[in-house]
Amino acid sequence: MAFDIETINRLIVLFINAFGIFLGAWVLFANRKAALNRRFTLMTIAGLLWVNSAYLGFSSKDVSTAVALYKLNGISALLTALTFYYFFILSFLKEEEKHSLLNKIILLVIFLLICLTGFTDLVVKDVRWKEFGMEIIHGEYGGIAYYLFAFFFILLMAVWLIRKYFVLSIQEKQKTQYFFIGIILWMFFNIVFNTLIPLIFNTARYQHFGDYSIIFLLGFTAYAIVRRQLFGIKVLLTALLVVLIAILLLLNTLLFTENTPFQILNGIIFIVFLFFGYYLIKSVQTEIKRREELEELTSRLERVNVELATAYKKLERLDKAKTEFLSIASHQLRTPLTAVKGYISMMLEKIYGKPPKKMIKPLENIYASNERLIRLINSLLNISRIETGKIEMNLEKVSLEKLINDIFGDLKQAVEGKDIFLELKKTKEPLPEISVDKDKIRQAIMNILDNAIKYTERGGVTVKLKAVKQKLQIIISDTGEGMTGDEISNLFVSFTRGKAGVRMWTEGAGLGLYIAKKFAEMHNGKVWAESPGKGRGSTFYIELPIK
Amino acid sequence: MKKILIVEDEKMLAEMYHDRFVQAGFKIVMAYSAEEGIKIALKEKPDLILLDILLPRENGIGFLAKLRQNPKIASTKVVAFSNYDDPTTRKEAMEFGVKEYLIKTNYTPQEIIKKIKTYLK
Repeated sequence: MAFDIETINRLIVLFINAFGIFLGAWVLFANRKAALNRRFTLMTIAGLLWVNSAYLGFSSKDVSTAVALYKLNGISALLTALTFYYFFILSFLKEEEKHSLLNKIILLVIFLLICLTGFTDLVVKDVRWKEFGMEIIHGEYGGIAYYLFAFFFILLMAVWLIRKYFVLSIQEKQKTQYFFIGIILWMFFNIVFNTLIPLIFNTARYQHFGDYSIIFLLGFTAYAIVRRQLFGIKVLLTALLVVLIAILLLLNTLLFTENTPFQILNGIIFIVFLFFGYYLIKSVQTEIKRREELEELTSRLERVNVELATAYKKLERLDKAKTEFLSIASHQLRTPLTAVKGYISMMLEKIYGKPPKKMIKPLENIYASNERLIRLINSLLNISRIETGKIEMNLEKVSLEKLINDIFGDLKQAVEGKDIFLELKKTKEPLPEISVDKDKIRQAIMNILDNAIKYTERGGVTVKLKAVKQKLQIIISDTGEGMTGDEISNLFVSFTRGKAGVRMWTEGAGLGLYIAKKFAEMHNGKVWAESPGKGRGSTFYIELPIK
Repeated sequence: MKKILIVEDEKMLAEMYHDRFVQAGFKIVMAYSAEEGIKIALKEKPDLILLDILLPRENGIGFLAKLRQNPKIASTKVVAFSNYDDPTTRKEAMEFGVKEYLIKTNYTPQEIIKKIKTYLK
């Protein structure tokens, strides 16, 4: 069966209509609420009107019908340009507000041209019958104005497209590449068939082919709008090339090969080519997909890095604020405690005269309570510094014997109140001075002694100093409560206390031993406890390196 | 009789230390800010300055900087005493040659006198 040009033309128009309607519906139903999708569908309707009026005008037998259809064709082309313009600036440039003046000018020019086309003979003057169909005769000035507009409109879109394309991100680029190809094909065919050929050769013989090319724009754009997962443009081009070669091979086999063995050979080549072509496309697709995944991962990593850096800075600021707050808050808490401590101590020193005898004990109790508060604040401040790692060491040579005697002075009152003894066993040989942070070691010994006195009701507390290899041990033994293995293992944990502590005493926050351990560890030393069992006393060890 | 300048902005504490120090036999001059402290130090030439760190406007570190710059009083002994226990501030004070940085709340006035006496020998 021979296909004449008219049949092919009819089939193309039929195909474009079916495909166009499908695209318009597909995009609209993919997201009916989005302005982008709605504008696309409007553009499709205008575009189909354009194609159909061109075809019908071209093939009509009657002059007045042809003129009316060509006028409709001119108007629908303008409407396509208008809908395309709004679609383009919204989807691609994303700067609708920026061009409000240009928007108005374009709207006005299109409106004027529509009026000129529809109500005057300036654009479409007449038609004449040629052997191929009805050819349009343009009015002299109207036609020039119409084509000038088309030319400048296409030029403007092309400039915007190119300018914008280079500042797009990689992710945006891929999506717009489809749009890009559609527009380029559409513009190319329009410039060639609708503008250049009519202007240069003064013939409308091929004009409708330009009109048909809108289907490229619609097809590629619809695909880019609806599909989230796009094939890379390289895959697309590879596929197009493979299909083109396949069509040529098929045509060659069917039309130009007369000899049956050659036909079979060509058929085999065609099938082999299809097979390899398919794998070529697949492999290009896989490779590109991997690269894209890698790019995506890289950019995600970069984003995460930035987020991490910001979060870290925020944490640092918070940490600093917390430290400052603690210093200031403890200062504020300590000031009234200092006044209470000072005045009570002075009353007990009889600076303000001898207090009545029955007042001595209450004064001592106030003093002791105040001391407990002071110790608690000191402990909390220390713990906070230990746990944020914000604690500095000020090393100096210290004689432990002297230091312990000092501490005994401070604890005199506590011991006297309980009727127990507190003694330091003399060493046979003098012990070396060691390099430590005096305040911290004093605090560590003090905390452990305090604890021992607290849990001893009869007998007393003995301190021994002992050199073991390159280390000095401070051994604090008491005749008190004693501990089970479980209690020992919980002793040096922040915010916990031995069971004896819960039962017998409720004072103290259980922080002292934890602080003692941490302070010893800062000197590369250690703290541990031993006890033969309940009711049989405990022994605490502080071991520090001799330096 | 040794002369001591106490720089302390907290009125109640200033009064307390003043009473106890006088009782212990010192001649006491008082200042309630860093600026006033420098003026009085220049005028009275104390044997020792007991310096609070958190003061209104200029703090104790600023006081130390000015003190050490003025040749007439630069070599005055200073004991810092504050309830503001910040490692950086403590370090700065030590770098200005204070004898000690005492946390007020850990010492009774009597204990502070004991400390001071060792530096006045």
